[in-house]
Amino acid sequence: MRMNMFEFFLKSQKILGMNSRNLNFIRSCNSRSAKRLADDKIMSKRALGKGEIAVPKLIAKIASTEALDKFDWTTLPGGFALKPNRGFGGEGILVVYGKKKNREDAWVKADGSIVTIDDLKNHIRNIIDGSFSLSNTPDIAFFEERLQLLKLFKPYAYKGIPDIRVVVYNKVPVMAMLRLPTKDSGGKANLQQGAIGVGIDLASGVTTTAVQGKNKIIEYVPGTRLLLSGIKIPYWKDILQLAVRTQEISKLGFLGVDVAIDKERGPVILELNARPGLSIQIANLAGLQERLRRVRGITIKTLERGVRLGMDLFGGEIEEELEGISGRKIISTVEKIKLTGKNGVEVEVEAKIDTGADWSAIDTDLARTLGLAETIEAFDARSLPYDKLKDMTKEERWNVFKDVPQIVSTIPVRSAHGFTYRPMVEMTILIEGVSLVTKVSLINRSELKYPVIVGKRDLGRFLIDVKK
Amino acid sequence: MNSTHAIIEYFVAQGVPLETVSLLLVLPVIATMIAFFRQVLGMKAFGIYTPLIVTFAFLATGIKYGIALFVIVILVGMVSRVLLRKLRILYLPRVAITLTIVAFVILALLVAGGAMKRTGLAAVSIFPLLIMITLVEKFVATQIEKGNQTALILALETMIISAVGYYLASWEMLKEFIIVYPWAILLTLPINILLGKWTGLRLSEYLRFREVLKRIT
Repeated sequence: MRMNMFEFFLKSQKILGMNSRNLNFIRSCNSRSAKRLADDKIMSKRALGKGEIAVPKLIAKIASTEALDKFDWTTLPGGFALKPNRGFGGEGILVVYGKKKNREDAWVKADGSIVTIDDLKNHIRNIIDGSFSLSNTPDIAFFEERLQLLKLFKPYAYKGIPDIRVVVYNKVPVMAMLRLPTKDSGGKANLQQGAIGVGIDLASGVTTTAVQGKNKIIEYVPGTRLLLSGIKIPYWKDILQLAVRTQEISKLGFLGVDVAIDKERGPVILELNARPGLSIQIANLAGLQERLRRVRGITIKTLERGVRLGMDLFGGEIEEELEGISGRKIISTVEKIKLTGKNGVEVEVEAKIDTGADWSAIDTDLARTLGLAETIEAFDARSLPYDKLKDMTKEERWNVFKDVPQIVSTIPVRSAHGFTYRPMVEMTILIEGVSLVTKVSLINRSELKYPVIVGKRDLGRFLIDVKK
Repeated sequence: MNSTHAIIEYFVAQGVPLETVSLLLVLPVIATMIAFFRQVLGMKAFGIYTPLIVTFAFLATGIKYGIALFVIVILVGMVSRVLLRKLRILYLPRVAITLTIVAFVILALLVAGGAMKRTGLAAVSIFPLLIMITLVEKFVATQIEKGNQTALILALETMIISAVGYYLASWEMLKEFIIVYPWAILLTLPINILLGKWTGLRLSEYLRFREVLKRIT
């Protein structure tokens, strides 16, 4: 029990909590001026633009009620996003997709509802009044270009644009998640409001585990059979590089970068977050504290190096995770295996993983090296033409071969020379650290590329990845 | 029983009521308790001011009426949100309307209580009542910023913390202790410095990250 408590304590040390985030990371890494930049969307847009980082284009901004009265509504395009400059948590954002047919003063939202100039004015007044800003201080409203949803994300996102949160620390991307708007979240990519957060493997940019809202671990897009794991995020390396570059420009030591992928423009930076939330740990089912600790204090000279380090340190977990979930090892179509024969002779050899075969088979020459020469000779000496063997009962057939040393059974196989019966012997096979005691047939495979095939009967404990 | 500390006797001799001295000295203890609830247990409540002032309101109204008032104020806040949503009006006017509704409801309650010969509530001084009424602004602001559910959770946390604060502040032993050893209050300073440097997980975070804890090796 005490051991368990200790283990539990060690585990909890890997998670980043609010206290540690505020004191060890935000307080000590993020200067006030840098935080101000991050909290001001227009300012950060300008700073990033100067650094040649792609951001959604600013269309117009309205800072006061006088400016609102004078605003020329005809300058607005069909689709745009209206945002509070110092908003947080995705609040106060209004997105329209196009102008209402035959009307100059009305736009259509994703859910089909109509937004008139009066609605916009009301919303802007609320923004200016500070209804959506941190601590309700007066704010600026701005219009920016609406991003276009990538085809890949279409089935996953409910009426909104998914974004990718990358947490960067000390020029190294340390954790990332894909945020998918849902019906519950009202099309907003905000976890607190019920959006989905999907963890991302940093090396490959492939999604892993997922959480909906605050704490619900899910596998599928709600209401569908669409798996959330295994989505390959396009432009992955570019996204990580953009995130690190954004950190350099913003001078925030610890930040969350929100990246969206536009259909035409590719990855663009949506906003910076000087106080990144902690839910990303639940989406990834991994601790941030541990990752930050590993990156702390390392001198990273170049952006590429930082990205590389992040990918190397915090990637490649997908396999282990899949293995963890299924309890099965992932192997490729060709694997190095170890066979243990008579008298403990061991041979390491490349084997073909063949889901088309029931039983595993090994080449007769290989069998000889494994000390099975006697078996092969004795079997061949007793062998009869196929037609004869075929018509025998199992018992009759067994009576023919039962004296062959090591034999455990016979099996009909089709080879280049037609059908034959071959002997099967007991064999220990070691694949990816998994040891199997099984029976294999002994066949002449000298014409074939691999001396061993591993068949279905022996593959129950593995998953086969054809790309590995 | 121990004797009152000389400095307290001096305060009283200068005309400061003992009750006031005692309340002022218990304030740092409650404030520290609220800080502890936030940093170690992870109960956020509505910051530190609201639970503190509600604690004092509870002390004035008694815990029974205090909690009843609290619940009523929050309920009215929730209902008026639904009523006012359609109007789509700016923040301050909206809070003003909500305050008006709360004030009317409380007044109606006092009258109804009086009619049913339950004058306990009406006998309460107006200030704790006002404190409870203005609580609604905090609630409405949180509703707008963080949504109804979060606001409700924070309100509940505030109520729990204030109730604990109430029992702490009305604990005779503590009151006596403070009057006998007023300097002991200074101990809250190092405690708060420790709390301010505490970087471990909050108790609530063990719950929040339970799925992560299960999966980490």
